[in-house]
Amino acid sequence: MSRFKIFNTLKDNKETVDKISDDNNKSLHKDISKNISEVKQMLGNSFDIVTREIKIGETNSIEAVVIYTDGLVDKDLVHNYVLETLMIDVRKAESEKKINSDQELYNFIKNSTLTTVELKEIDIFPDLYHHLLSGDTIVLLNGFPKGFAVGSRGWEDRGVQEPSSQQVVRGPKDAFTETLRTNTALIRRRIKDPNLWIETQKIGKKTQTDVAIAYINGLVTEDIVLEVKQRLNKIDIDSILESGYIEELIQDEAYTPFPTMYNSERPDSISAGLLEGRVAILVDGTPFVLLVPALFIDFFQSSEDYYQRSDIGSLIRLLRFFAFFLALLTPSAYIALTTFHQEMIPTTLLTSIAAQREGVPFPAFIEALIMEITFEILREAGVRLPRAVGSAISIVGALVLGQAAVEAGIVSATMVIVVSLTAISSFVSPTYNMAISVRMLRFGFMILAATFGLYGIILGLILMVLHLTGLRSFGIPYLSPMAPLAVGEQKDALIRAPLWMQTRRPKLISQKDKIREKTEKPKPTRQ
Amino acid sequence: MNQKVVHLLCIVVLCISLTGCWSSRELSELAIATALGIDKHEDGYKLTVQIMNPGEIAGRQLTTRAVVTTYSTTGKTIFEALRRLTTITPRKIYLAHLRIIIFGQELMEEEGLANSLDFISRDHELRTDFSLAIAKDMSAEDLIKVLTPIEKVPADKIFSSLKTSQDNWAPTKVVMLDELISSLTSPGKQAVLTGLYISGKPETGNHIENVQQVDSPAKVHLDHIGVFKGDKLVGWLNESESKGFNYITDNVLNTVGWVECDQTGTISVEVFKSNTKLTGLADNGTPKITIDVKSEASIGEVACQIDINDEKKLTEIEQKLEKKIEEIVNGSIAKAKEFNSDIFGFGDVLRRFEPKKWETWKENWSEEFQNIEITVNADMKIRRTGTTTESFIGKIEQKKEKDE
Repeated sequence: MSRFKIFNTLKDNKETVDKISDDNNKSLHKDISKNISEVKQMLGNSFDIVTREIKIGETNSIEAVVIYTDGLVDKDLVHNYVLETLMIDVRKAESEKKINSDQELYNFIKNSTLTTVELKEIDIFPDLYHHLLSGDTIVLLNGFPKGFAVGSRGWEDRGVQEPSSQQVVRGPKDAFTETLRTNTALIRRRIKDPNLWIETQKIGKKTQTDVAIAYINGLVTEDIVLEVKQRLNKIDIDSILESGYIEELIQDEAYTPFPTMYNSERPDSISAGLLEGRVAILVDGTPFVLLVPALFIDFFQSSEDYYQRSDIGSLIRLLRFFAFFLALLTPSAYIALTTFHQEMIPTTLLTSIAAQREGVPFPAFIEALIMEITFEILREAGVRLPRAVGSAISIVGALVLGQAAVEAGIVSATMVIVVSLTAISSFVSPTYNMAISVRMLRFGFMILAATFGLYGIILGLILMVLHLTGLRSFGIPYLSPMAPLAVGEQKDALIRAPLWMQTRRPKLISQKDKIREKTEKPKPTRQ
Repeated sequence: MNQKVVHLLCIVVLCISLTGCWSSRELSELAIATALGIDKHEDGYKLTVQIMNPGEIAGRQLTTRAVVTTYSTTGKTIFEALRRLTTITPRKIYLAHLRIIIFGQELMEEEGLANSLDFISRDHELRTDFSLAIAKDMSAEDLIKVLTPIEKVPADKIFSSLKTSQDNWAPTKVVMLDELISSLTSPGKQAVLTGLYISGKPETGNHIENVQQVDSPAKVHLDHIGVFKGDKLVGWLNESESKGFNYITDNVLNTVGWVECDQTGTISVEVFKSNTKLTGLADNGTPKITIDVKSEASIGEVACQIDINDEKKLTEIEQKLEKKIEEIVNGSIAKAKEFNSDIFGFGDVLRRFEPKKWETWKENWSEEFQNIEITVNADMKIRRTGTTTESFIGKIEQKKEKDE
């Protein structure tokens, strides 16, 4: 019996869906009660949809309804500027004989009553639903097949907080939030240029997520903006819950371990990107903003490089590249050297490695695999566990497990050093997604090293570089400014030259307005 | 897409077939050999290999087991003997970390170097950075078995003392494989190898007690340079002659020499810089070699009454030192002539200076070598006199006189 009932409900749902697609452009009814009942039916009598039916005018002659979604609206605003004005101001005006017909009343409400900035006339149901569910307040009058959407969005949000990733010692401490409007404001606050243009569109049939494209007109290459727009328009998906969805749907190369779009929750690094002529894609509901085109070297640059002295910034950048190769190759180099090329290890070092390997039951590759996987598990657990437990688990797990494994003779102490070095090096990368790529590739290199030795590693590196040179991010070669080589742009690639030297913007990204600054080398001015 | 996959497969298959280093070996499957001894045996060769026991050298819990083990076997050829070793060793012998190869004196005198050297230069596993030496008056096997204090691995001890004594004292020579083969094959040069021997009680050498005592009963010594003619060992240079050899071949980095004072006592100098230039000349058909030794030294020890602030005195010392170097060098040459072996490479020098004449001498070089006229010019400069000027010995003498 009950099963039958469920079947029936499903059938009903299906009918509703069909109805929606039929009524894609269905206009509002003149009859207000019809409108109300249709809205209620459509939204399944959801309890967070508030409908307040009122009568306005001196003689309570006109029926009206105020509909809003509880929780998404600023209630004070609805009370003070919608209900109060409708119920009191209209009556006053009518008593002063300013309004003679219903049409005049409608215009009066539209032009003089609703004292909010955002006001939109709506006449079809889809618009009504969209505004209603976005946090706007809907006002409908009896006898009119149209109504108003009053901008009253105001929901609880996290507020601007410190970024949880990409932290800096020196530099701004604010981060993007889940609210698109806050995020655009954070960028605007940094770039007060009228050429900073922000365009929005809605993506996701069900989620109707606001996605904004921001760029500085005159700096950006139009082709890139056009390309971004075209790719965004091609998206046909029911939901966008995070910018990762967008990234995956519009990236250049679907099958690559390397990220071809940069993401950050730091408004300063996104602003810096915009000022270089890049395009930012902001997605409502996530603090992670995308930046395109993204180059390989971008993932090794932190905004702090520019806030510290240039020599420090340069050294730290070089260190990051070094750490990248350490994280990528340490375990595989260890495997290759100890199982294929023992003659390359200095005798004394070989002696101590061999001494530790005595009694270890596994081949070096299996040993490395065990430790690497154990560490990956620990790291994953450390991220997902409640914050209070997480760090403790990861530290204790690594220490206890590492030490105990060595003492039990299951792994050698050298292996623990190798794995720890790898792990620490992979955390040096300022961007999380490049660190993940390295984590993944490392295992491939380990397999290559175990089968072919150093030859395999070199082979793997050649393949990796070939793949990297073939990658494009929105038409820009991924390895630029190294390949193709742009000599002038080396000032902000592996190293970070002093700001007064960086007179030009990256050539490949923006071909317009190339001069960034004309500051001379600082020196004391003679009086 | 399909074509892509095919291409990828081709690449992968090619990679597999191209690889040179194919088979992997775990560290725990290897017996790391540190020294190799080759002796003459009635079956052919006797091969002794010294294998290190890493757990005893760098392990976390050290026991009293020996740090190295030796295995010996015989075979018609060296390669055969090496493979036969696997019947008594637990793992495959790994030769890449070999520090030294020692040949028995008997083998060198009777059979020569050439036959045993081929395997060593041919085998791909061996690096070429090990040194070669001869066990003087004993078998290589006995020498390899000696445990040494401080350096846990005996082969390391031998290798590093060869190097240190060459660099600081000069009567030995580190001979590596490439150099040895080139002097064996060169028509104007003969080979040399340093000699090693055990002093004290050789029979205690392979007991752990040899390293448990403050004064090890059995010690490995290295001086004397073995002289080859062709590939056979023909004799030995003593310490002073070895030094002379190193002066002539410009192999002195740092050494100490002494001369007598005017009165009783000696003065020692440290030679910290020495350059030798050999020039060849054909004088009426006779080969002539001029040896110019330019050395710089500092005074290291003054054990007599002498005013070293006096420039004249210093010049006197310099002259004495020059004479001494000339003596050493001449002694060395005399010995080489005795063995009729051109270990200094005078033939090579003449080939460079007198290429046409060399062609006529080449055929009969061992006779011509006897007739060679040699001029030695030593030039010694004393640069420093140490941290004190006049020795306090003079003051002590004066005090003695007063007391009397």
